[in-house]
Amino acid sequence: MSEIEALVLREARLLDEQRYAEWLELFAADAVYWIPTRADQQSPNEALSIIYEPKSLLAVRVERLSRREMHVQTPPSRTVHHVSAIEVDGDAARSALIVAEWRSGEARWFAGRVTHKLRKESAGLRIVLKRVDLIDGEAPHRAIAVPL
Amino acid sequence: MHRAAYTDPALFSLEQERIFRRAWLYVGHESEVPQPGDHILTQAGPDEVILARREDGGLSLLHNRCAHRGARVVSEACGHARQLRCPYHAWSYRLDGSLIGVPLADGYSKELPGLACVPRVESYKGFVFACQAASGPSLSDFLGGLRSAFDNLVDRAPAGTLTRFGGSLRLEYRGNWKMFLENAVDLVHPGFVHKSSVDAARAHPEALAGDAVTQQGAQMFLANGMRATQWDEVPLHAFPGGHVYMGGFYKQGMIAPEREDPVFARYRKALVERHGEEKTAAVLSVDRFNNIIWPNVSVNARFGAMRIVRPLAVDHTVVDVVCFKLDGAPPEMHDLTLQFVNLAASPASLVASDDLEIFERCQRGLGEPGNDWIDMGRGALADRRQPDGSIVSRGTSELPIRHQFETWKSWMGL
Repeated sequence: MSEIEALVLREARLLDEQRYAEWLELFAADAVYWIPTRADQQSPNEALSIIYEPKSLLAVRVERLSRREMHVQTPPSRTVHHVSAIEVDGDAARSALIVAEWRSGEARWFAGRVTHKLRKESAGLRIVLKRVDLIDGEAPHRAIAVPL
Repeated sequence: MHRAAYTDPALFSLEQERIFRRAWLYVGHESEVPQPGDHILTQAGPDEVILARREDGGLSLLHNRCAHRGARVVSEACGHARQLRCPYHAWSYRLDGSLIGVPLADGYSKELPGLACVPRVESYKGFVFACQAASGPSLSDFLGGLRSAFDNLVDRAPAGTLTRFGGSLRLEYRGNWKMFLENAVDLVHPGFVHKSSVDAARAHPEALAGDAVTQQGAQMFLANGMRATQWDEVPLHAFPGGHVYMGGFYKQGMIAPEREDPVFARYRKALVERHGEEKTAAVLSVDRFNNIIWPNVSVNARFGAMRIVRPLAVDHTVVDVVCFKLDGAPPEMHDLTLQFVNLAASPASLVASDDLEIFERCQRGLGEPGNDWIDMGRGALADRRQPDGSIVSRGTSELPIRHQFETWKSWMGL
């Protein structure tokens, strides 16, 4: 398994294990985490995004996930991020993602294609961009609390 | 109010008939159908309708139901066509709904109908509303004291017009539709519901020194942490017809009313060219946050954003969030609009997600017996009726909720 593949899988597992602080560390200082509403979206300035966050805001998101008063995670979700069909192309990886989430007596699913852009830094391989193109980014969604 | 107002399916059906098929409802913006032939699918209350620009430049609103066997005529969210043709037996219609022709026309013994039209469609400064009641107050009278919300939004555009852009964010919750707009003007909930995002933002003070997007997000998260005494300084205004706004929001200094950066300076200059210095200052000083247009719209003029609440069932609601470009403003302003709305209103927003969770908890709770009557009396003693017929109260009052229910009772005939 390539280092890039291993990172993509580890990133998904850290989310399932709710190790959000370690998850955040996988992102480079100038990284962006993006869930656009449209699959053909080239930039966050074309259309609204479900999430478009530079690492500075992602850090606030992760901080909040550790707070007891986060109502939408009381009780917390259990998730499985199922990653498959990883294709490594230079410093990028494309994959297919299905997330199953169970919370408060209900299960639901998300599905989409993921693009990771990566960079070798002195501390190791880091994510510069994680983009999740949901099959239904334009559809109504109930609250999304755990990163996809 | 009895909890049945949020939980009884029979009352929900009555709301659909008496409110959502009788009141003026927002159906779209003129910029979505600029050219003759342009059309979009939208909702007029419970009914799916086609908003179309006709050859004569006027607007039609047609029920999306073939007059023959009832198939949906249009199935794409937007399109451009000179005529609408049903895919089933090819009945075809003009954009005013009238029938052009049907196959085997000589076999019919009577005149055939066209697409059903919504009887009243009017635009207020580009915002298109529809009313399924053939008579009643005009749109302008219906909007009443809250016409000012649209006036201010349009006045903020250096070119004097707005363009809908950026698609939409769509939220869903398993709760009653009324909760969303009640919550939008409940200034006591932020300190409790949004505590996790306030605390998280406070733990990352460096975000306030970040790029423009990060800064604006962090300010918005922190603003929810104001004390009750500060919220009280945000007066609530309720107008006849159920419309409400909260004013004085930005004076608290949590979110600055005007920015000091080169982009905003260019924008302001363009606005002065249109309005002159005095009116520009007046337009930009309007510091309302949410303007609630009863029964189902919230407008934020400062950020060019609008939310439309769509009831699906007594315990199921969708909210569409849309944005407008201020025509003539620097494009960077529009980038910030989108990014503010992402952070404030997306289903994954650190703020909105906790609201959605609370609505679902309320809905589950209200389904349980005991304490059947919901108290919404907070701050009633501070309500002050004004000479213009509006009511003003302090920020922590439940005036908006009481006021929305007074209007609800009158439309429901209860």
